[in-house]
Amino acid sequence: MAHVVLKDLVKTYGSFKAVNDVSLTINDGEFVALVGPSGCGKTTTLNLVAGLTSVTSGDIVIGDRVVNDLDPKDRDIAMVFQNYALYPQKSVYMNLAFPLQMRKLPKDEIDKKVREAARVLDMTQLLERKPRELSGGQQQRVALGRALVRDPAVFLMDEPLSNLDAKLRVQMRSEIKRFHQDLKATIIYVTHDQLEAVTMADRMAVMNGGYLQQYDSPAQVFAHPANMFVASFVGSPAMSLIPLEASTANGGAVLTSAEGWSLELSQRNARKVERATTRKVVLGARHSTIKLHKSAVPGAIPAKAYTVEPTGDVTFVQAFLSGAIVNISVPPNVAVAPDEQIWLEFDQERMHLFDSETEMALEAS
Amino acid sequence: MTIVSGKADARRRLQSARSDVLRKMWEHRADYAYVLPAIAVMLIVIAYPIYYTIELSFFNTPPGLQLRDKIFVGFNNYTAILTSGVFWQVTFNTLIWTVASTFFSFVLGFAAALALHRDFVGRGVLRAILIIPWVISAVAASYIWKWIYHSDFGIIGAILVELGWAERPPNFIDSVSTVLPSLIVVNIWREFPFAMIMMTAGLQTVPEQLLRAAKVDGANAWQRFWHVTFPHLRNVSTVTILLLAVANFNSFIIPWIMTGGGPSNASHIWITHIYELAFGRQRWGVASAYSVLLFIILMTLGYFYVRALSGNERKDGSA
Repeated sequence: MAHVVLKDLVKTYGSFKAVNDVSLTINDGEFVALVGPSGCGKTTTLNLVAGLTSVTSGDIVIGDRVVNDLDPKDRDIAMVFQNYALYPQKSVYMNLAFPLQMRKLPKDEIDKKVREAARVLDMTQLLERKPRELSGGQQQRVALGRALVRDPAVFLMDEPLSNLDAKLRVQMRSEIKRFHQDLKATIIYVTHDQLEAVTMADRMAVMNGGYLQQYDSPAQVFAHPANMFVASFVGSPAMSLIPLEASTANGGAVLTSAEGWSLELSQRNARKVERATTRKVVLGARHSTIKLHKSAVPGAIPAKAYTVEPTGDVTFVQAFLSGAIVNISVPPNVAVAPDEQIWLEFDQERMHLFDSETEMALEAS
Repeated sequence: MTIVSGKADARRRLQSARSDVLRKMWEHRADYAYVLPAIAVMLIVIAYPIYYTIELSFFNTPPGLQLRDKIFVGFNNYTAILTSGVFWQVTFNTLIWTVASTFFSFVLGFAAALALHRDFVGRGVLRAILIIPWVISAVAASYIWKWIYHSDFGIIGAILVELGWAERPPNFIDSVSTVLPSLIVVNIWREFPFAMIMMTAGLQTVPEQLLRAAKVDGANAWQRFWHVTFPHLRNVSTVTILLLAVANFNSFIIPWIMTGGGPSNASHIWITHIYELAFGRQRWGVASAYSVLLFIILMTLGYFYVRALSGNERKDGSA
C-alpha cells in the first residue's frame, strides 16, 4: 500500500480545462471519494492517476515515485470500471488470472492467487462461468477480484456501483467498505452519488467544473460546507439556500427578505455578516435544522406549505420562501396540508451563511 | 356420452382453430395485398427460372435444334459433367479462386482497418482512396488490369524489365501457370476494401473500457489486440468471410472480361464456364445441370451462413 499525492494537477483538452490545479494528498490505507456532478473532472482525475490520460501539468506521486510518465502497468495500480470491463470470452478464472499472466507469474502461483481472491470474495463456485452468466453484482465482484489479485499499491474505482440496481448497490457498498477495512487498502473512488461518498469514504474530495471545492471528512463537509456548491451537493434533500439582504446596527445583524419579513441573527452569525464584503447574503439551512410551527411563534417566519411528501420515517414539507424552495422535515405524526399557513424557525447554531457573490461560506473569525 | 361430447368438442375446437386462422388472415388481408406484387414478381423471375433450369438439366439441347424439340436424357448431363476432366479442372480453379481471394482479401482488409483505426492526419483521405477499387466499375477495372498485365504494353512487365528482374515482360494472363494467380490478385485488389469497411465497423464497437482495463492489467498493444479486440471481432469476421466466399464463388466479371476463361480453361471458374456452355455453345442442358450443382453447393454455404448468424444471436441472447 502507498500514499498518493496530486500536485497542482492540470488536464486540458484544447481550450477546455477538465482538471484545474487539483492538489490532494491521500494517505496510505485511506479511502478517498472523488465526488461531483457529471463533467466535474472526477473521472478525468482518476484516469490521470491510472495513466490512461496524460497529464498536462502537475505531478502525480504514488508511493515515493513520480509516475507522470509511467505506463498504467508500471504504476502499481488496479482499476475497477463502471461497466465492470470483464473480458467476455474468458471465464471468471481467466479474468482473474489475466493481469497475473500479463506479469508472467508462474502458473501455480497464479492459481494460488486466483483461488485466494475467489475465496475472499466468495465466488469459488463461479470460477468456470463466463461473465454473461453472472448477475450484475457477481460481475462487479469479479471486477473487484481482478483488482485484488494484483495486490496493488492503490485501488482506483470508477463509479463501480452505478450500473447496479438500488438494493444491490446498498449491499455492494457495504461489501466494498468491508473490503477496504480488511485490506487496509488505499482506494480512490469516483462517484456522482454523494451518498456513496458520505457513507464509504474516510475523506471526500468534492469537485465541480474541474476545480476541487472541498477536501475533508464527510462529517466536516456535511457540517461545514466551504461554499454554496458543496452545501447544495452534499446531503439529501439538498440544503435550502435563501437569498436575503443583510443590515447591521449596534452590534446586531438582521436579514431582510424582499417579501417583507426579517430575521434577527445570533451574535456569532452577526459577526459573520459584519466581516462580509457584501450585503447580499444567502442563508443555508438543512431540512433537519428548521422547525415547523403551525401557529405564529416569536422569531419564526411565516410561509405557505407547497408540497408534503411522507416517506414513512419522516415527512418532507416544501415551502416557498423569498423565491427559494425550502425543505423541512417533520415527524410523520405532524399533519401538514398543502397551502396551509406555517411558520419556520431556523436553528441559529446550525445555519450557514454564504456570500452571494463569491458563493463562499462566511466565517465568524 | 362423454366420448361423443369429447369428439364433438374436439371438432368444435378444430373448427374454431381453423376459423381463428382464417379470421386472422382476414384481419391481415391488407398485408397480404401489399406483398402480393412482390411475390408475383418473385415467382416469375426466380421460381420459374429455377424450375426451368432443373427441367432443362435433364435434356440434351444440340445447337441448331429448337428448344421445344429438346431430347430427354435423364441424368446423362450430370454423369457427363462429373466424369469430364474439364469439370474437375474448373472446380479446382473455383476452389483456388474462392479460397485465395477470400483469405487474402480478408487479411488485407483487416490489416487496413487496423492501420486506419488510429486517428492520424490524412486518415479520412487514405480511407477514401482505399475504397476506390471497390466502388469503381468491375468492368472498367478489368480492362485497366488487362492493360497493366499486357505482355507488350503492360506497366508491370515494363517495370520488371527496367529493374532488370526479367529479360522479357512476363505473360501474366496468357500463360496457363500464371493466369489464375494474376486474376486472383485483381480480385483481391477489388475486394479487400469491403473487408476493410466491415472490420472498421467492427473495430468501432470494441468497448473502450475493456481496452483500458487490459492496459491497466499490463497487456501490451499486441496482447490487447489478441485478448480483447480479436475475440470481439469474431462474429463480424465470420460474416465478412462468408459474404466474401459467396461473392467469390459467384465471380464472373473479372475472369470473363480479362481472359474469358482461357488459356485452355486455366482461368475458368464455375460461373464463367456455365456462361460459356450456355450462351457460347448453346449447350443449355449441360449448363443447366452445372447450375443445379452450383445451386446445391451455394445453398449449403448459405445454410452455414445463416447458422453462423443465428448461432451468434443465440449466444448473445443468453447474455
